Amino acid sequence: MVADGVILSNVVASQVDLHARFGGVVPEIAARKHVEAIGYIIKEAIDSADRNLADIEAIAVTSIYGLVGSLLVGVAAAKSLAYILKVPLVGVHHIEGHIFANILSNPSLPMPCVCLTVSGGHTMLVYVRGLCQYEVLGNTLDDATGEAFDKIAKFLGLGFPGGPIIDKLSVQGDRAAFPFPRPLRNSKTLDFSFSGLKTAVVNMFKDRERATLPVADIAASFQEAVVEHLVSKTLQAASLKGVSAIAVTGGVASNRRLREALSERCNRERYRVFFTRPDLCGDNAAMVAAAGAARLRYGDVAGLDLSVVPHAPLESVA
Amino acid sequence: MRVLSIDTSGRFNEIGLVDGDREHGGLVWEAAGNSLRDIILNIDLVLGKARLDLADVDGLAVGVGPGSWTGVRVGMTVGKTLAYATGKPLCGISSLDALAYQGRNVPTLLCPMVEAGRGNIYAAFYQAQCGTAIRRGEHYAGNISGLLKLVKEPILFLGDAALLHRQAISESLGSLANFRDPAEEVRGYGIAALAVARFERGERDDALSLAPLYLREPLIKALLAQGRRD
Repeated sequence: MVADGVILSNVVASQVDLHARFGGVVPEIAARKHVEAIGYIIKEAIDSADRNLADIEAIAVTSIYGLVGSLLVGVAAAKSLAYILKVPLVGVHHIEGHIFANILSNPSLPMPCVCLTVSGGHTMLVYVRGLCQYEVLGNTLDDATGEAFDKIAKFLGLGFPGGPIIDKLSVQGDRAAFPFPRPLRNSKTLDFSFSGLKTAVVNMFKDRERATLPVADIAASFQEAVVEHLVSKTLQAASLKGVSAIAVTGGVASNRRLREALSERCNRERYRVFFTRPDLCGDNAAMVAAAGAARLRYGDVAGLDLSVVPHAPLESVA
Repeated sequence: MRVLSIDTSGRFNEIGLVDGDREHGGLVWEAAGNSLRDIILNIDLVLGKARLDLADVDGLAVGVGPGSWTGVRVGMTVGKTLAYATGKPLCGISSLDALAYQGRNVPTLLCPMVEAGRGNIYAAFYQAQCGTAIRRGEHYAGNISGLLKLVKEPILFLGDAALLHRQAISESLGSLANFRDPAEEVRGYGIAALAVARFERGERDDALSLAPLYLREPLIKALLAQGRRD
């Protein structure tokens, strides 16, 4: 629950443990868990904000971009609430939510800016022209960054989710130990790719006994390649668009090495960098409320026939 | 007692409105992947036609399946959320119970069935008793031939899936198998009627914890259990 840019409550029912044994999110399991949790988290969001249902002035919901079975549980609940409470309903693009997580964290985020939004489900460079105005500059051509972390973590026998585990382990490793390739290094594209890098890691060590692997060095070197890839494309985008500010958001934005390397580079090249608060990096509902409030100010109200769109470019809502 | 029922677990979505034992309105439409889009507007339509507001309804009923996993989640999320937000009592009703209720005056064994995808069905056996239908034994989830092996006496098959598999059923069971004329199929009221009965007995379900009746694990879990995937 968000009021005038202030978070009153932000309840997240994480399913990480549930999907850990599968090494990734299983859509049917996710959807089942959502329908079980939805009532409780709505109640908790209202109760922990110390408000009543009657205090709600609008309902925002992620209706675009994501797993269809998960989206539809949220939209079904949101429509029901909007109908009962007779308040406006706003549909939000999931990526726009992540951008607003950064705006919630940095209310003075300068616009236009370039925003790197990077998580287990997507990796994207967005030119944010102004509030609710977007141009996608680059996208991953294969895996999302978080997914690449998951797959390498699985290969190294480290568990799920891979990002935080590799980040933590990397502190003990040498990030220059293995010269893994930097994807799309000499290309003008602002897209991302992780499959070649992933294959390079696997090929280098696939014939070795897992127990003999220098796991910390591999993790640190792999993370370094990923971070360099993200940082160089982000700076390339900022330079292309001539902006002075860079925003970083999404689950992977909490990666310690990404924050460090990007800050260094931005410092050196005189960009201002704005990170999303660590507690708002992962998927959360406050960011969706913030995005919804902004859209509502532009008169963007959805009908009660709102449906879900699993795949749609961010520009479709700009 | 006025009860509004919502069921999106089958091929057809159903909204029913009853006042005690009297049908007060309702709407049936083919789901065709648009359940989420249409559900709230159609609830509003049914209430509007009856010149009622949701505030005038005494209780809510929702179909918990078995049926389409995705479909059932739409209706259940709507039913649970409406119940939570209005504070009205909620009652979850099995889609098989609701189908069997149509045969509550039939003396033979009853077998309601719904489609489970991949040519499979969900079903159960019921016996009419004191104006309602009581389930005998466990739910069945699997292919039609497995179900038919369990049938040894005259039986009435109910539901869209029964019509879909009519030929296979007739070939296997011959004269034991009876079917409803599709025109006699009454939709939309079974869930509301069963909910009225439960409410009148003082029963209700918890709006927050009520969960769908899936009858099957997601495929990946089934494969894991068989040790076919690491």
